Amino acid sequence: MSGHSSPTVNRRGFLAAGAAGAAVLGFGAPLRAAQPLKVGLLLPLSGGLAREGQSCKRGAEVTPGLLADMGMPVQLMIADTETNIDTARTRAEKLIADGAQVLIGAFDSAHTLAVAQVCEQRGVPLVVNIAAAPNITEQGFKTLFRNFPTAPKLVTEGLALMKDVFKVTGTTPTKAVFLHNNDTFGTAMAGAVNKLFPTLDMPFPLVETISYDGNARDLAVEVGKAKATGADLVLLVPHGDDCIRAIREMVKQRFEPKAVVSPGSPGMYETQFYKTLGKYSDYCMTNLPWINPKSAMSQALLKAFSKSHPDALFEMNIGFTFEAILIAADAAKRAGSNDPKAILAALPTTNIAEHVMIGGPIAFDAKGQNTNTRSATIQNFGGKPLVVLPSDVAEAKPVFPAPGWQQRG
Amino acid sequence: MSRQAILLCLLLAAFALAPLAAGPYLLSVLVVVMYFAYVGQAWNIMMGFAGQLSLGHTLYVGLGAYTAGALFVHLGVPAALGLFAAVAAAVLVGGAVGALGFRFGVKGVYFALLTIAFAEFTRILFEHIPGLGGPGGLFLPVGDRTGIDLIHLRGHPLMFYYLILAMTVGIFLLCRKLVRSRLGYTWLAVREDQEAAAALGINVFRAKLYAVMLSAGLTALGGVFFAFYYNNLFPNQAFGMNRSIEIILAPIVGGLGTLFGPILGALILTPLGEGITMATEALGFKAAGIKQLCYGLSLLAIVKFLPDGVWPWIRTRLGLEPEEDGEGDR
Repeated sequence: MSGHSSPTVNRRGFLAAGAAGAAVLGFGAPLRAAQPLKVGLLLPLSGGLAREGQSCKRGAEVTPGLLADMGMPVQLMIADTETNIDTARTRAEKLIADGAQVLIGAFDSAHTLAVAQVCEQRGVPLVVNIAAAPNITEQGFKTLFRNFPTAPKLVTEGLALMKDVFKVTGTTPTKAVFLHNNDTFGTAMAGAVNKLFPTLDMPFPLVETISYDGNARDLAVEVGKAKATGADLVLLVPHGDDCIRAIREMVKQRFEPKAVVSPGSPGMYETQFYKTLGKYSDYCMTNLPWINPKSAMSQALLKAFSKSHPDALFEMNIGFTFEAILIAADAAKRAGSNDPKAILAALPTTNIAEHVMIGGPIAFDAKGQNTNTRSATIQNFGGKPLVVLPSDVAEAKPVFPAPGWQQRG
Repeated sequence: MSRQAILLCLLLAAFALAPLAAGPYLLSVLVVVMYFAYVGQAWNIMMGFAGQLSLGHTLYVGLGAYTAGALFVHLGVPAALGLFAAVAAAVLVGGAVGALGFRFGVKGVYFALLTIAFAEFTRILFEHIPGLGGPGGLFLPVGDRTGIDLIHLRGHPLMFYYLILAMTVGIFLLCRKLVRSRLGYTWLAVREDQEAAAALGINVFRAKLYAVMLSAGLTALGGVFFAFYYNNLFPNQAFGMNRSIEIILAPIVGGLGTLFGPILGALILTPLGEGITMATEALGFKAAGIKQLCYGLSLLAIVKFLPDGVWPWIRTRLGLEPEEDGEGDR
């Protein structure tokens, strides 16, 4: 989304939006001390999840400036979990020892749960920016609040949105084939898809599920099998560069489904995907939570982000990380205090109508889960992901069926 | 009392009294230190004492963790009972791996590859067992974090601290006893020259199998601690190859085949990582991965200048005789 047209809202506009939101939400609570809120941010900045962690970090870096304009000064203390559960736990302890009043993180579900136990023990709130394991909010933590959908919700909405695409475009595929990476993430997603698919009354049958090794140098056999099924829709759950190999192989084998759709996985909206595949990256669809292009706040975030990271993709990780910090700052502001106990008391009554991700107001249920998140369909056009559904926030109309590989400019 | 015994007592006293002075952060670091000292010591039995290289030792951590964790989650079996099943499972699997490898004469790096293969196979297997959470993870109810319940292993972090301290002391004493036993000398003979040991009438197959099974069972105990300390298990975390590497680093750096080596190695490596992080932060280096770079260079330096490990070097410097702790020439 970097470089989208009409980023018309500047920081002043953002401030106005924030002020309006504040008025709506009753930000008239006593002003807290001028001291910035110390936010400890735990991210996998190195190790296996470094790419995602770095993306979150880029979003976090532009956040304090925007929140300061809204009268919510924050001081970020960023720590690297190194994609390691031991480090995640000790870093959480270190951040609290260094004075962090709220913790945010930690991207990976296992790390998040390790951090959550520290926070619970120390009475420090934890706002989960990204982590999808449903059990995180089933452990009975009093200090944990999650602004990210659970994995089953991701898949359910990811599949349901496909029906909307077919409805809007007036074309329905006759049968689909499911290709997925056999790593932990891909297998978990496959389990959820296979479980939920029959319950969602999908307008096409899933004729075959094919798993592949994400580290395989080519996917000729798997794509060949998929082509042989005669499916005209490919559901793809990649997790890294394997999506590039899968599309390349489809082009090579002249396998031209009506669309390649991912029900909620990374890969097809990443910079490397666009750079490597060029025109072949276009028209691929991913259904997942996304930044609301129509929100004044997200436009301001985009502007600030594009200025500091002109070459980086403006995507989901950035939005959720921004929102997690926003939630913490909002709670501190309403509490009129940076004291962790006061913030904890304020977090359950969070109700942020104006925010950056698509979905309803940010609010938490009794378990600390925001149930108002909503997935969107993003489709690649000209090397950029654009929101095509839901219609109320769409930037473009969905294109389905996609033009053949050789019919693209 | 020998100088080594005095050293050990001082170390033990320092760890026992650490909670009086250390905050939660330092305690969490010390838990990690002792955890790696413990599992390092367990691995040391197999590699350091018996000379059998295992690069898939996380298999036993994972088996122990999942067995005790699943029994607790699904049947409410307390950890104090679940650990017996965990150890039994690991001993059985360890025995199977060992028997398979040794019966067919798989040695050296090929045996190491076999251990990796089993760990990877088990990881994939566990990803496909829905009752254990599959790739979505198995979550233990966190429960009370203030009390002390050693039966169910639920409670305050300080309880876990003293538990892992007790486990580390326990495995140290056990290994000390073992290396001075007939079995220990048998392992030494097998490690130094398998053919010569066989010629002397030693049952090499049985000696190696005992080492694998004992090492696996003790490692599984570490897995039980891991499961109940972190309260969540994912196959890629519990059986991941990187965890295997983490397990073997402490004994290699500290001194392979020595009793103090795994402890010293863990005492060096974990604080080294934390120290590098703090130093780089204090110096304003914000590039991710700088810690790993410095850590790797430090490891290189240790391996280059102290190829036998840090403990043998210190032992020589302090004028301590290897025989004093029953380590023979290890």
